[in-house]
Amino acid sequence: MPRLLALVVVAGTVGVNPPLAKSAEPLHVRIDAIIDAKAKAENAAVAAPADDAEFLRRAYLDFAGTIPPVSVTRAFLSDTSASKREKLIESLLNSPTYATHMADLFNVALMERLGDSPEWSKYLRESFAKNKPYDQMVREMLRANSKDTNNVGASFWISKRLENYGQNPVDYSALTRDVGRLFLGKNFQCCECHDHLFIDDYKQQHFQGLHTFFKNTFLSKGVVAEKLTTEKHPFASVFTKIQMTTGPSLPGMMMIDIPMFAKGMEFVTPPDRKTNEPGVPKFSTLQAISEQLPTAKNTDFTRNAVNRIWFAVMGRGLVHPLDLHHSRNPASHPELLTLLADEFASHKFDIKWLLGELALTKTYQRSSVVVAGKDTPDARLFAVALEKRLSADQLLNAMLTATENDAKVADTLRPKFVKAFANQAREPEDEIAPSLKGALFVLHDAAVLELVNSKPGNLVERVAKLDDAAATDELYLAVLSRKPTETERAAVAKLLAKHTDKRAEAVGRVAWALLASMEFGVNH
Amino acid sequence: MLCTPIEHSLSRRRFLGAAGGSALSLGGLVTPAIAEKLRKERRQVLFVWLDGGMSQLESWDPKPNTPFGGPFRPIQTTVPGIQISELLPQSAKLMKHLAIVRSVSTQDNSHSAGVDRINRGDPKNRGVVYPYFGSAVSKLVGSNDSGLPSYIWVKPMNGGFIYKDAGFLGPKYGALALGDGKPPENLLRPKEITTEDDDERNELRKLLDTKYAEQRRKEFTEANTHAFEMAAQLQKKIELFDLSKLPQKDQDRYGSHDLGRHMLLARRLLEEGVTFVKVTSYGWDTHGDHFNGAASLHPKFDRPFAAIIEDLRDRGMLDNVLVIACAEFGRTPRINGHIGRDHWPEAWSVCMAGRGIKGGVVAGKTNDKGTEVATDPVDIGGLFHTWYKALGIDPKETEFRNGGQPLPIAHEEMKPVKEVLA
Repeated sequence: MPRLLALVVVAGTVGVNPPLAKSAEPLHVRIDAIIDAKAKAENAAVAAPADDAEFLRRAYLDFAGTIPPVSVTRAFLSDTSASKREKLIESLLNSPTYATHMADLFNVALMERLGDSPEWSKYLRESFAKNKPYDQMVREMLRANSKDTNNVGASFWISKRLENYGQNPVDYSALTRDVGRLFLGKNFQCCECHDHLFIDDYKQQHFQGLHTFFKNTFLSKGVVAEKLTTEKHPFASVFTKIQMTTGPSLPGMMMIDIPMFAKGMEFVTPPDRKTNEPGVPKFSTLQAISEQLPTAKNTDFTRNAVNRIWFAVMGRGLVHPLDLHHSRNPASHPELLTLLADEFASHKFDIKWLLGELALTKTYQRSSVVVAGKDTPDARLFAVALEKRLSADQLLNAMLTATENDAKVADTLRPKFVKAFANQAREPEDEIAPSLKGALFVLHDAAVLELVNSKPGNLVERVAKLDDAAATDELYLAVLSRKPTETERAAVAKLLAKHTDKRAEAVGRVAWALLASMEFGVNH
Repeated sequence: MLCTPIEHSLSRRRFLGAAGGSALSLGGLVTPAIAEKLRKERRQVLFVWLDGGMSQLESWDPKPNTPFGGPFRPIQTTVPGIQISELLPQSAKLMKHLAIVRSVSTQDNSHSAGVDRINRGDPKNRGVVYPYFGSAVSKLVGSNDSGLPSYIWVKPMNGGFIYKDAGFLGPKYGALALGDGKPPENLLRPKEITTEDDDERNELRKLLDTKYAEQRRKEFTEANTHAFEMAAQLQKKIELFDLSKLPQKDQDRYGSHDLGRHMLLARRLLEEGVTFVKVTSYGWDTHGDHFNGAASLHPKFDRPFAAIIEDLRDRGMLDNVLVIACAEFGRTPRINGHIGRDHWPEAWSVCMAGRGIKGGVVAGKTNDKGTEVATDPVDIGGLFHTWYKALGIDPKETEFRNGGQPLPIAHEEMKPVKEVLA
């Protein structure tokens, strides 16, 4: 009988309908209702709310790409107003640092360290500064029209992928795969040659239909151009060998008819053999995909977009891995994914609005400290805040802010930080991956060590003049955005007391230890 | 493009995190008991990779006085009846330790496909990316408690951590590549930081980390601790990389060229207990002016190869270390219009020695002109069976697990080359 009893209990818990919040309520309330209901149903040990210091640091890293300057930390910690968190979120989303950080976030996510260009960075920064709707951004990237002078940089997403690497041919398969992965959340790589062997939802038709949008694109003097697409694209499964054809088509959407034009009438501007200028076809497959893909009715697009934004803020996708949306890998909270996708679309793909709502949730504002004595809840429950990887840029900015060194050195240091902390090209930076290279960089590289040498106006110089207790407080506030514990105060005081003759160097070592700590190196 | 399955998306973090406790590892063995037994005996591999393809005709399988034989003569080895090319005089003296398989016949004629298939052992298409041999051995044998990573790759040019070798095993089993045999960047502590200062600052860092880790999920904190520990371990072994401290005689015997220095470093790493050391030499793809190329290249291999076999023998290490000299294919018997030899997977040779290998043996043969294999052809799957057997790992009893999916460690339909097994 005990077994039966257990079944009844389980059924009883699962069967309770989550107290769904009314739709009139703001999105962040509805999100929490869904997350809380599931955490409760699974009896998860939900973490306490993050304290002000933890919240402040997290919000800064997430929306400004760096840690708070010590003056901000001090002011925030002593601010007694009840709405200070809302005000902080509001202010971070409307600071100039917002666009810079979003540009970094989306550059890493969308280019996966394939390369960089000033126009592309500028495009991203300006788009986020204007809070351009995300569907419009994706439309501009997929259209890749470098003649659109306002959005020259947008074409970099495709043009970089149409480059040759050494003697290798252009990797059209990778371009097709990336469109699927990054804009639809579906990795069709295995479907180039056959239907997916393990994922029933992924068909060869999906890969080939997507590929048909890009197979006639090429680079002409660095600019994305198109050849004519006049007939369907043939393919066959390596298993069945049955010959098939497809027009340009997105998974789950109608195949696009390839229009027929009379000979000589196919181009808006015919190619110029003298100048080698490519023609502009009347039927542009890039135009077609840019109109079809980033739309409210393409749920692959909307669900992938919100899932990736959720991941960036919460540390894990509702669907995870991020590029494996399919029926046997459902979202941890299916109704939440649908809710976010619908709301995002109905708010005209307003990223800033969505980020603001996510930041207001209790889910976001939970501590990353697990509940002592309880099992650590599954990451999928979002019952404890998940640690997030810092990008090379975030780490660099945070180190410069913490050590109060001149931000002008950032451009010199950036390549070194990217080398030490970024993944290789095509490796998504979607999880925290501490490496030997990164550890050795922090331990020994002059780029880091210089930051904790005493220099006019920097943290170490300033703190070395303070007495031990004040110096310790200041170092912890500046680097870790919190006050030290008593144990930590004692440890630092002991260290400093040993080096009264070389105080600045000793302060530098303490600052280094804080910079090199796990607590600093991650967004917790 | 290689079909990368769902399993490929296993996490980099998980791999690093798995270093401390194996519970997180997905690519586990079937029984922990077997794994434990394996770890008790030290077993190591030296894998010499001659990238581009060494000509079997100017090395292990000479065909004198035939249309394709080329200008070089065969010489007697120290084993009666076995001759190899005069370009490998030092190896010829050590023939009683060497086993040659002359009937290797593989599938891929291109470098890109060949390198991958040979290194992964080409088990039938399982819809997963198989690990390179180094990653597989690293998984099956473990780290030998050397304090060093279990799979180290000494190569010209760039280094770094090459996790793609690990395939479905997860990046933990990737290779630490030492570019040009040099230690990883930033391994040396700057002189201005004294040992005392370094200890002091790290002590404070660890104090912070301990407190942080106590209160957090394990994934990140374990991986981060592992990275810093590996950094500390490697720093202690910094003298490994300073070959100038070794007797001049050693340096002379191995040679001062890349492969010589790299092979000497490999010996040091094997002495330290590293499980799998791969040494790569580039430039063997002699499509033109092949014979002048071979006259210069082959001795560059011969000298350090013989030197390391001798040294391993003198140290009693040939009982533990399986030595393999291999490439992605051999070279065409037919000599092309540029006096070159092209790619030839159809009939080529692989040489091995050491642990589990019977020395002084030639297995299989090619036809008179060396164009085809005249005995049962041995594909790479058969060689993997041979190598696993030599290491005391039975491919029939041992399998990988990928998530819940059991996977053979070597091609199920192939067999070891029994003639070369001790």
